[in-house]
Amino acid sequence: MLEFVQILIGGLVVGCIYAIVALGFSLVYRVTGVINLAQGGFCVLGALSGYTAASWLGWPAIPAALLGVLATTAFGTLLGAASFVPGLSRISNANMLMLTAGLLTFIEGLALVLWGSQPYALPPFSRERPIDLGGLLVPSQAFWVIGTTAALLLGLWYLLARTRHGHALRACAENPTAARLMGISVSAMTLFSFGLAAGMGALAGVVVAPTTSLQFDTGGLFTMSGFIAVAIGGIASFPGAVAGGLLLGVLTQLATAYVSSLFSNAIALIVLLAVLIWRPNGLLSAGVARRQDVREEARVWKHITRLHPRSAAIAAAAGLAIALAVPLVVTSEGMLSGIVIAAILFIALIGLDLVMGYAGQVSLGQAGFMAIGGYTAGYLSVQYDVAPILGILAGMALALLCSLVLSVVTLRLRGLYLALATLSFGLLIDSFAVGLADITGGPSGLVGIPSFALGGYSFDSPVATYYLVLAIDVVLIVLLAGLVRSSFGRALQAIRTDQLAAAALGVNVVRCKLVAFAISAALASLSGSLLAFFFHFLSPDMVGTPRSLELVAMLIVGGEGTLVGPLFGSVVLTMLPTVFQSLALYKTLVSGALLVLCFLYLPEGMFGALASRLDRLARPRPAGTMALQRERA
Amino acid sequence: MLELSHVTVGYSASPVLLDVSLSLAQGEIVTLVGANGAGKSTLVKSISGLLRPTSGEIRFEGQRIDGLSTGERLRRGIAHVPEGRQVFAGMTVAENLALGRYVAADRARGRARLAEICAQFPLLRERRDDVVGNFSGGQQQTLAIARGLMSDPRLLLLDEPSLGVSPILVTEMFRLVKVLRDRGITILLAEQNARSALAIADRGYVIENGRVALSGPAAELLKSKEIAERYLGVGSGAEVSATESARMAARLRECVG
Amino acid sequence: MDGIAPDGVPALRVSGLNRSFGGLKATSDVSFAVAAGTVTALIGPNGAGKTTIFNLITNLLRPDAGEVHLYGERINGLPPTGIAGRGLIRTFQSARVFPGMTVLENVLVGRHRLIRPRPLGHMLWSPAARRAERDLARRAEALLDLVALTRFTHVHATELPMGAQKLLEVVRALMAQPRLLLLDEPAAGLNDTETAELAALVRAVRESGVTVLIIEHNMSLVMNVADQVVVLDAGSVIASGPPEAVQRDPRVVTAYLGEEVAA
Repeated sequence: MLEFVQILIGGLVVGCIYAIVALGFSLVYRVTGVINLAQGGFCVLGALSGYTAASWLGWPAIPAALLGVLATTAFGTLLGAASFVPGLSRISNANMLMLTAGLLTFIEGLALVLWGSQPYALPPFSRERPIDLGGLLVPSQAFWVIGTTAALLLGLWYLLARTRHGHALRACAENPTAARLMGISVSAMTLFSFGLAAGMGALAGVVVAPTTSLQFDTGGLFTMSGFIAVAIGGIASFPGAVAGGLLLGVLTQLATAYVSSLFSNAIALIVLLAVLIWRPNGLLSAGVARRQDVREEARVWKHITRLHPRSAAIAAAAGLAIALAVPLVVTSEGMLSGIVIAAILFIALIGLDLVMGYAGQVSLGQAGFMAIGGYTAGYLSVQYDVAPILGILAGMALALLCSLVLSVVTLRLRGLYLALATLSFGLLIDSFAVGLADITGGPSGLVGIPSFALGGYSFDSPVATYYLVLAIDVVLIVLLAGLVRSSFGRALQAIRTDQLAAAALGVNVVRCKLVAFAISAALASLSGSLLAFFFHFLSPDMVGTPRSLELVAMLIVGGEGTLVGPLFGSVVLTMLPTVFQSLALYKTLVSGALLVLCFLYLPEGMFGALASRLDRLARPRPAGTMALQRERA
Repeated sequence: MLELSHVTVGYSASPVLLDVSLSLAQGEIVTLVGANGAGKSTLVKSISGLLRPTSGEIRFEGQRIDGLSTGERLRRGIAHVPEGRQVFAGMTVAENLALGRYVAADRARGRARLAEICAQFPLLRERRDDVVGNFSGGQQQTLAIARGLMSDPRLLLLDEPSLGVSPILVTEMFRLVKVLRDRGITILLAEQNARSALAIADRGYVIENGRVALSGPAAELLKSKEIAERYLGVGSGAEVSATESARMAARLRECVG
Repeated sequence: MDGIAPDGVPALRVSGLNRSFGGLKATSDVSFAVAAGTVTALIGPNGAGKTTIFNLITNLLRPDAGEVHLYGERINGLPPTGIAGRGLIRTFQSARVFPGMTVLENVLVGRHRLIRPRPLGHMLWSPAARRAERDLARRAEALLDLVALTRFTHVHATELPMGAQKLLEVVRALMAQPRLLLLDEPAAGLNDTETAELAALVRAVRESGVTVLIIEHNMSLVMNVADQVVVLDAGSVIASGPPEAVQRDPRVVTAYLGEEVAA
């Protein structure tokens, strides 16, 4: 019994942290309609800067912590002003979600550069030894956590209920149009809520840091936990967010203690998926209507850029010639391997482009399908000596099945909620990859995977693999390019921008989405299998959620909706650290920054921008049309 | 007091408002009438600052305001009661009213003004601490107008106040408009209910397809045949020739199959 | 494009449609019929419930009570693909053209329900598939020529002036070979010339055998093209009949111009 209470208290402490992060989510969401995935990053930044204040400046624990919070709040506000606020008036909510994922990556990269990759432990605020409460051993920091949470809740309540600016915040959350009429600057309020949430995150970070060790990438963990908490409790209500956080904390601690630590994550995610599907407003929130995407009018739809057939043919021929010559020019095996990886990832990317670029369905779990393909093919060839090609086909079959199930289950979800569901799916696969150690080899991975072999010939060398993957890439580009020029391709593009109007014309929206998603999953699976065969090894972090986010970054940077564009993104983001070895430390920082900058300033991506420039030169506009403008209210 | 000169809102190829000029003198009630989508709301929004004109000038009490923010215009005395009321449904009456004075520089006056407004509107005084979401359309409209009055405006812009309000309350509301004018507030009223609006107004403008189609003293507009024509299509336009129609139909059948 | 039904069966029959939102009754016992091969106009002041009727007919909204029959077949509760599949095509009040696509591509999407899918053929760039696409494009271009939109063929749809966008939406709907075409305020925002062109198009559409139900505020257009006018006010049908009769009906005049307020 005592043990149970002990675990309960531990759960409450953890739950308080989740609750604070969840509150930060809820605050920003209510004012802007966007879920800010970077929230968890501020927790880590706060803790790490607090550590610096304590160790470098020699300050005692509490002032150092406060300095950390202040510094992070200031930084967060600046970051928000530079990226979040301008993004809000230009891009849709679902794309904003990905922008914030980019911000999280950027923050992680920054932490990596400034503090390195080692874990940090902070001293507790008061006495080191736990307090004895009638047999219960409660660490003193636990009181700090619970106390801080309570104080924060009180402060937030006071701000929103009693102060003028708090009222203005609530007004923005309720009705931005009416708020503007009152003279309230919605962008100022947005920045205010963003900065406030950053500060709250930092506070959670410094106060929990002494109880656990933190490192540069723990931010993702905080974000995910906070996000699961709001999904369970209801993001549109503060009490719901808090309740969700506490509930999640207790649940995960109980699951870890009585079931297994590896699966506690999975349990949380399954609960999350269930909630997203059946009660997207959260288990506890009642009667709070979901806000519409109020910036529909300001959304600028990117045009799918297509090169004139003649220029496309020339470019294709040139591209092919260059690609064929690559192994002759590139002598370093390291660089060639990098190019092979880029080419393998492109297979998953082109599938992602079909789903995201053409059909407009956000998918943040693409690497999950890579994992399915990689582990299936790997496991079958290691355990049962199955021919690689059959392993690949088995992987694709399994991926197709999973995609169908996922599609059907998320059918009614749109935009933001769909993105969250796919993200949850990816995280679920992550935890299975780590948890099902008998099949996947657990965190250390699956070893001894043979090279891909077909008809007796084994593709052992990078050069051989390169030509194999190149052939696959070319075939895929040709097949998919043909497919998108059919009524199916047009239907996808119609669905991307206006499902209702498409359905009114007889487009079977459900079937089109299912097919696109299935193709994408199968291709990702193929990509994962090839990756496994190339490295002779597969571990969860090769095909985990960070990989999913990296794929999205490559897609955006290269150019959505172009089929070929992602190749640029893949090459750039894969080769950069290989080419500039000394800059490998900066890879995370750069890819996060690139994603954010592309969303803000180059929504067409590199290839897309290039293509549309060429297109504009080739095709003059007739009189009577308007240049594409952004209407600023 | 208010002057719009050649105001255009929207892209040159398809403007929402094109070359609109109108004026209001102090103490007048001026009404904008016209069909749905004609541009009345756009006009009102460009006066309050929610939209910016692509060309033209807007002057208030002699000074140009088309570059100013909504908040700045509020401080100068222009309040906008929007179409569809747009109250803050999750907040109380008192909080809604307080937000009406959000930009006001004089904080102390705020509480006094709240008391004044509640005295004028007994309904609101009774339900001061009630959350507004469950109020009826007419009650919300009253609240929206009261909220607009909180900032002591000299010019009040009312956009379709009778929409969604029961007929009895509509009468009340138009009476309120006259009372407000008698207190010295200049009023620009955009309304679909042309007859009621013209009955209480001094002057009117008929907006059609983004332009001023007719203007003049309200009493004359009310009696004019032209309004009837525009609303009911009496004496309608060009006929389409039968042979042309048949030819088009044949080609249509060919294309569509 | 044969919209002529067996004797007596109206192209559309709406009976007793009722729908409330919260406590507000949006439509109240609305009933009317549209004879095959005719143009019926649905008019009424702002907020009368006209678009709600469209949404109820096309099942975007479920009625609290009432039935919708298309050529005698009850279509309550059918999914959008079922509605469109039976030839009931609608346009939207706000010209919902597809933003990321050109005018030609928009028109081609209109044809979607009639196109035989050839996924393999397209992936392999087969001559048959490419020929089918070329024929389709030719058909679409001919239609664009008919309504004088040729110069915009390869322009992105949202860069068109509003009048052209509304016309594009109608053209796109026509490509779907409707038996019954529902047009929601197609003339809103059009100038006089464009309205006259629209009127000509609607008449031609009717001549070609398609039944049309049109919501409009522009009375001159209505008087020009409609065979029958149904007037809605505050969710109820207050008058219906030939245009000239409805025009003179005092209840209609009141509904539009408003009541006299006691001074």
